[in-house]
Amino acid sequence: MTQTYKVPAIEVQGLRKVYRSLVAVDDVSFVMYRGEAFGFLGPNGAGKSTVVKILTGLVAPTKGTVRILGQPVSNLEMRRRIGYLPELPTFHRWLRAKEFLAFHGHLYGMRGMVLEKRCREVLELVGLAGRDNQKLGTFSKGMMQRIGLAQAILNRPELVLLDELVSGLDPVGQRDMRDLLRKLKSEGMSIFLNSHQLADVEALCDSVAIINEGHILKVGAPQSLFDEAPVFEVRTNPVNKELLHRLGSIALSVKQDEEDPCLLYIEVQKEEQAAEIAEVVHACGSLLYGLAPHHRSLEQLFLRTIDASRQRAPVGFTQP
Amino acid sequence: MGLLFITRFTLLEAIRRRLFLAVVILSILIVTAFSILLSIVINASQGDNNNGNNTQLQLLGAGVLITVLAIWMVYLLSSTLTIVFSANMISGEVDAGTFAVIVPKPLTRVEIVLGKWLGYALIVCTYTALLFLSFLVVIYRQTGYWPTDAPYALGMLELGTLALLGITTLGSSLVPTIVNGAIALMLFIGAPTASIVQYIVKFINPSSQQTVQNITTVINLIIPTDALWHGATFYLLPPAADFALLDLPQNFNTPFTSGQPVAPALLVWAALYCIALPALAALRFQHRDL
Repeated sequence: MTQTYKVPAIEVQGLRKVYRSLVAVDDVSFVMYRGEAFGFLGPNGAGKSTVVKILTGLVAPTKGTVRILGQPVSNLEMRRRIGYLPELPTFHRWLRAKEFLAFHGHLYGMRGMVLEKRCREVLELVGLAGRDNQKLGTFSKGMMQRIGLAQAILNRPELVLLDELVSGLDPVGQRDMRDLLRKLKSEGMSIFLNSHQLADVEALCDSVAIINEGHILKVGAPQSLFDEAPVFEVRTNPVNKELLHRLGSIALSVKQDEEDPCLLYIEVQKEEQAAEIAEVVHACGSLLYGLAPHHRSLEQLFLRTIDASRQRAPVGFTQP
Repeated sequence: MGLLFITRFTLLEAIRRRLFLAVVILSILIVTAFSILLSIVINASQGDNNNGNNTQLQLLGAGVLITVLAIWMVYLLSSTLTIVFSANMISGEVDAGTFAVIVPKPLTRVEIVLGKWLGYALIVCTYTALLFLSFLVVIYRQTGYWPTDAPYALGMLELGTLALLGITTLGSSLVPTIVNGAIALMLFIGAPTASIVQYIVKFINPSSQQTVQNITTVINLIIPTDALWHGATFYLLPPAADFALLDLPQNFNTPFTSGQPVAPALLVWAALYCIALPALAALRFQHRDL
């Protein structure tokens, strides 16, 4: 019998960054494994970009350790194996698309025909085929994101760090990028995704970390993070006082939808209580039209987690 | 290797930027205008004075003075170009955010800074040399004067340009572009003040001359461009024995020219300055958060 070991792509331990008197991130620790997509979530000013900048060597941590593909951030050989797309990418506007990619390819140590072929490939992958000779100064925001992604995957990286990839893209562009990320992931590329697009993160990522005010609040597989009680959506008619009373006796809470009085949200201790709910509905003489687990989205989890952390610490950043 | 790619990229950027094109076109216009004006002045003066050998010597003497003035213009133009061109060398890229995709690549920050410095050094040194030679050729064709120590004079000018580039390189790793440009410009313009004060004090209050000399030395150590310009003027002049023959003033120790070469110690200092400042910039950039 073979046993598969998860190999870390990113290991962050006790990370702290202080800008003068401002603590941007404090005691941040998480592990992202190779081959997985990792979503890094947090509201504006939570410290996400600082962490991403530390991971890419743009910012030095005040304290803590970071290892990327098993190496420290300063390791140049490791840097050949990663790709990075910054938030709001600004590139040299006077360069043509192919010159831009050739320059970055050279920095990765790529040369000649191999580089030329790969430049054409990535331009096609990001939907910019035929734009080789167009100057970056004439590119739209969405096209800048696309060419930025092209340079990030130019070297066929083992790990790619993407900071707000779809922020400048139209819906079609967002869909294209989602498809491309799925393709890259299926090819074995590890993807670190710093994003506000929670639906994208939910659809793509194997693990997520939620950060707020410089602290990691939750980290793990999205489904494992839903630590609140399960909720069922029950559609029944009629809804009378007796039904509500009897359901209340077996459930943690019962809420009636404000717009649809026949729709109830029943919070229970465990999912197995679905049968009990059905029995109570029948016993009260009501007709059961639907009983299904209430869908818990990553967005709800994210908002609830952030709200809870704000209630605990109403003040913004901590001082050192 | 990364260093050379950054250098090549910097050169490509300079060629593509309109500023470079504007500087080249304006420089060609300046040299052309200078050539035409010089031709008119010399033709006019030759028409007034036709004394054979004497005229030839007078023309050579005028050539000496014109050379000093023309190369002073080269010094000003190349120094201004150096400041304008390189003040945003690092700070400009940081502000624009373009370093965000370059710094995470497999090359060191030292390679980035020194690669850019090398690119700018090649540009400003080539520009200085071309402008220097253009003016000398024009003057030689019109007056027949060619300074025998022209390579040394050019060396002094190049060293001064590199010193200024060192200041802007270090400045751009420490402060925003506009502040860096202002500091470099103030230092460059302020440096000759010491020479002017020293010259005035020599006549008004000779007893304070040593104090002023010490202050001048300190200023020359902070920014050696003016001292190097004085050194360049020495090499632009003919041998002192020819001064009388060419009807030139016997003393060239003025606030703008010098009758002596630059002290070897100052030359060593200037050379170290040109190397140490970019090295300090690289060191600073190594630890800068982007």
